Amino acid sequence: MSLSDQKQTGIVFNIQHYSVHDGPGIRTVVFLTGCPLRCRWCSNPESQRSGPQLAYNRDKCLSFEHCIRCMEVCSAGAIQKGADNKATIDFEICTNCLLCADICPPTAIRVYGEEKSVKAVIDSVEGDSIFYSRSGGGLTLSGGEPLHQPAFAIALLREARRRRIHTAMETCGHCKTEDLLEAGAYLNHVLYDIKTMDAEVHRAGTGVSNEHLLSNFLALRDAWPKLPIRVRTPIVPGVNDSVEAIRAILEYIKEVPNLTYEMLPYHRMGSPKYGYLGSCFPMGDVKLDEAVMPALEKLLDADYAHLRPRSTRKN
Amino acid sequence: MDCCLSPHEQMLQDKIDGKANKYRETHARVFKILDTIEGIKPVIDIERAKYFTESMRETEGEALILRWAKALKHVADNITVYIDDDQLLAGRAGCQGRYGVLYPELDGDFLDMAVEELPTRTESPFSISEADARVVVEEIAPYWKGRTYHEALAKVLPEDTHRLTYDDPEGLMSRFIVNETSSFRSALQWVHDYEKVLKRGFGGLRREAQEKLDGLDPLSPTANTEKKPFLQAIILVCDAIIGWANRHADLAERMAAEESDPVRKAELALIAANCRRVPEHPARTFHEAVQSQWFTQMFSRMEQKTGTIISNGRMDQYFYPYYKRDVEAGILDDDKAIELIELMYVGMAQYIDLYISPTGGAFNEGYAHWEAVTIGGQTPDGLDATNELTYLFLRSKREFPHHYPDLAARIHARSPERFMYEVAETIKEGSGFPKLINDEEVIPLHLSKGAKFEEIFDYSISGCAEIRMPNRDTYTSGCAYINFAAALEMTLYNGKMLKYGDEQLSIETGDPTTFETWDQFWSAFTQHQINFIKHAFIQQYHIIRLRHQHFAAPMGSAVHDLCMKHMLDLHTPHIPEGIDLGYFECIGYGTVVDSLSAIKKLVFEEKKLSLAEIIEACRCNFEGKEDVRAMLQNVPCYGNNDPYADSIARAIDQVSLSFTNEYSKELGVNLDLRYVPFTSHVPFGKVVSACPNGRYAWGPLSDGSSASHGADKNGPTAVMLSNYTTKNFNYRERAARLVNIKFTPKCVEGEEGTEKLVDFLRTFCDLRLWHIQFNVVNADTLRAAQQDPDKYRNLIVRIAGYSAYFCDLSKDLQDDLIARHAHDSI
Repeated sequence: MSLSDQKQTGIVFNIQHYSVHDGPGIRTVVFLTGCPLRCRWCSNPESQRSGPQLAYNRDKCLSFEHCIRCMEVCSAGAIQKGADNKATIDFEICTNCLLCADICPPTAIRVYGEEKSVKAVIDSVEGDSIFYSRSGGGLTLSGGEPLHQPAFAIALLREARRRRIHTAMETCGHCKTEDLLEAGAYLNHVLYDIKTMDAEVHRAGTGVSNEHLLSNFLALRDAWPKLPIRVRTPIVPGVNDSVEAIRAILEYIKEVPNLTYEMLPYHRMGSPKYGYLGSCFPMGDVKLDEAVMPALEKLLDADYAHLRPRSTRKN
Repeated sequence: MDCCLSPHEQMLQDKIDGKANKYRETHARVFKILDTIEGIKPVIDIERAKYFTESMRETEGEALILRWAKALKHVADNITVYIDDDQLLAGRAGCQGRYGVLYPELDGDFLDMAVEELPTRTESPFSISEADARVVVEEIAPYWKGRTYHEALAKVLPEDTHRLTYDDPEGLMSRFIVNETSSFRSALQWVHDYEKVLKRGFGGLRREAQEKLDGLDPLSPTANTEKKPFLQAIILVCDAIIGWANRHADLAERMAAEESDPVRKAELALIAANCRRVPEHPARTFHEAVQSQWFTQMFSRMEQKTGTIISNGRMDQYFYPYYKRDVEAGILDDDKAIELIELMYVGMAQYIDLYISPTGGAFNEGYAHWEAVTIGGQTPDGLDATNELTYLFLRSKREFPHHYPDLAARIHARSPERFMYEVAETIKEGSGFPKLINDEEVIPLHLSKGAKFEEIFDYSISGCAEIRMPNRDTYTSGCAYINFAAALEMTLYNGKMLKYGDEQLSIETGDPTTFETWDQFWSAFTQHQINFIKHAFIQQYHIIRLRHQHFAAPMGSAVHDLCMKHMLDLHTPHIPEGIDLGYFECIGYGTVVDSLSAIKKLVFEEKKLSLAEIIEACRCNFEGKEDVRAMLQNVPCYGNNDPYADSIARAIDQVSLSFTNEYSKELGVNLDLRYVPFTSHVPFGKVVSACPNGRYAWGPLSDGSSASHGADKNGPTAVMLSNYTTKNFNYRERAARLVNIKFTPKCVEGEEGTEKLVDFLRTFCDLRLWHIQFNVVNADTLRAAQQDPDKYRNLIVRIAGYSAYFCDLSKDLQDDLIARHAHDSI
């Protein structure tokens, strides 16, 4: 079984070493492509599509004065000289052959998403194992939604556990219930996103209702009662940046055992990547009001202090 | 967000804002003294040089160590003594304020030229009065012309070695290729056995020497010609330091008599009593112990120029009995103990390690000196050594984070959690202290080099990253710094360098554009690498044989067991039972590895570029060749835990190690491979043209065993793992490797951040890396990254579920992060 796991492949768009915010200890985060949600605030837009996709960072282009390699290899004619003398890519015409990315010297054109085997991914993850043994860290699967590639994600988790690597997964919960429960068998820790209790607000912000992910949440809890779950909420302006919205989530989870809660303040750091992919950041320039986070932290401390994470060390 | 000012940065910001430092009140006396010296241009004090030279003039023909002792006695009897306002410790090697001292025995032959340039030189300028300058030109310099060590060395080096060493016949300018460092310092960085002074006093050492002198065989020729002058010198130097201390006692008594403020009057009386007592006699109190140590280290600075300064040894160990006794007796509390330690620190801060020669100056930009204070580690019997004083040193560094002295923590597998936690908290303060040295690497390695358990368990950190066993180490010669990037350049240009035009500097290895395989290129490179090391070893051969004819260290010898036992000066080339820990230095490791990786991959494997294209691009410093440069930068680089680059790095390391494994025994010393640059990767870079890793001409090389600027894109765990996998643990000829790690404050934020930093430090220990130090990134770093993105390509902004390179963000977002940095802290 493990042999077939190792040969299983999937699409990975990043492996980030030394991660300290995504689960216990010092971790390595493996980002998988593909997501059923389209959160307007998503900071990893390159994760949304399933397959490898082209991205272009205009700032890095050397300009046609120095290099026209990309235009030369583009048989679809999607790459032209722009007014600023830099490459301009017409994503409508682009056939996603990816040749230009292979040849671009400064990697202004690059590919998000690469097919990798379970073995290759876990070998890379295992390279950091000496840090895990001290800190209680390990592998975190992220995305996208890792269970958008269920067979690959579960194979990664199973292989990691076989090699005695601690496992965690970030999930939006919008996946097949049986996949989530199967993953649960190989998980030591879960980071579960709950964005809002309001189904309509959820649909408007992410494209789907929250009903399925909430029922999945309870199903996971029931199936694996000892599995530590960290519920996380991105605090997004105009979506859930109010005491009422967060209190609703906290009321929902406050009696659930073996659970901690964390809020992640909204940021715009993903916005340049929308440009690289030829689209626009849906949130625009809106920012989180400075008074919001302190008020929400206060709420958490006042009525739900038991949900605050204690030291994450070796848990 | 990637948050907050570090407390250190907050402190600097407060200063700009005119806000009081929150620790000012609890450290009032120290801050008051600091106010009088900060930002003041240092002054050259010529007294040491003047009196030293006067005496040396009179003693020609006598044994060198005796001449040295007489000269020091003459200095000690005549140099002006000072007691500073508000100070509770006495002893300076020069005038009040920040000062530097001259060592004409090193550079007397060009001192006259140098004093004219020092006030105006751009790096680390000094002032000197006109009258003093005249004394230098008319009295001091003339005596030394023709007598200095470096003149002798320049004469004796063979022509081909000289060519790689110096840029001129006289040997004043370095080539920065195979650089000798023995002529801008009398000794390597050093640590004395201060504990011996505290316990026995120089009075006790003097008695030992006298007894030995009385017991000499009066008929023995060697006793009469070698041992007798040695012991006479020891007695004389003990008299010198005791007399010097008593002159301070006299002054303090006079000042006390004239003082009207009763509080200060009592302080002066106490200073006087302490100076009468120590360092002649054993110390009885903590205050006396600190005073005794301070006199010893200041006198040591007058004795010789120890590069890069005399270190402080294991202060938390040898001061501890005095601290404990005084605290139990109720005459000392922690605040008072910290005050005395910090009063010593401000004394250190005022002594500037003055480098006269252009080479010395280039090595130590910005008045750098490293008088490391060692804390933590293990006791001589191999148990954990942490005590309450250890924690006081850490607390002091958090509350009074001055640059001096350098704080160095020894870490071992059983270091207590509290110690690790407080070390991590202190690092988070953001001033970069303490650096860490790893017992688990240092101890077994030195056992294999001949140390006894109890000696190596008791080692001290010395200078930048070295270690010393104060009664076993005996090697004092400065060692070669080798420019490995120059070896790479010479491979490209067949033994020549662009900086030096058509001059055939080194061997010819053929036109590289005719090479058909990677193996051919690699072989040519290693021929240059080996040739450089060969010349470094030839240098060292001559250095070892010359230096003891020019330098002596009677005080250093008086406190060294082996010197006293065998009645030999510490500068003697080989002292029986001693362990000679020399080294040679690899400069530009990361630069070379990445360049070789680019050539191997792009030219010989993927064939995307020809070597001729790369050379052409380097020759024109990538002007109009930005595409080639971009391709060169996108290859596997050292520092990413990438086996492709790391296997090259390991091979380079191995070539050096096997050379010294074969030949260092001919020199009779351990000449081990080290990667510790001080600031020398900057001047060494100034002679190297553009490199095949995309580095522009004349810019800095990579430093120590760190990755090239911005090339380590996988974060700190990968940097550590690359360091680990590139070490050839099967060779005992390895020495220190210096590693710098950058952290963004968000990664170490809060209690959880501290715990993860502790885990990181524990892993450092597990990996048996030698040294590590940290920079916590702050708003200034981000601004610098905005200005110079190339240098900060590796700066990662880490937020939960997201990460990006800072330099990839738009200006707008970068500004947002910088603003948040400043904002979150308010």
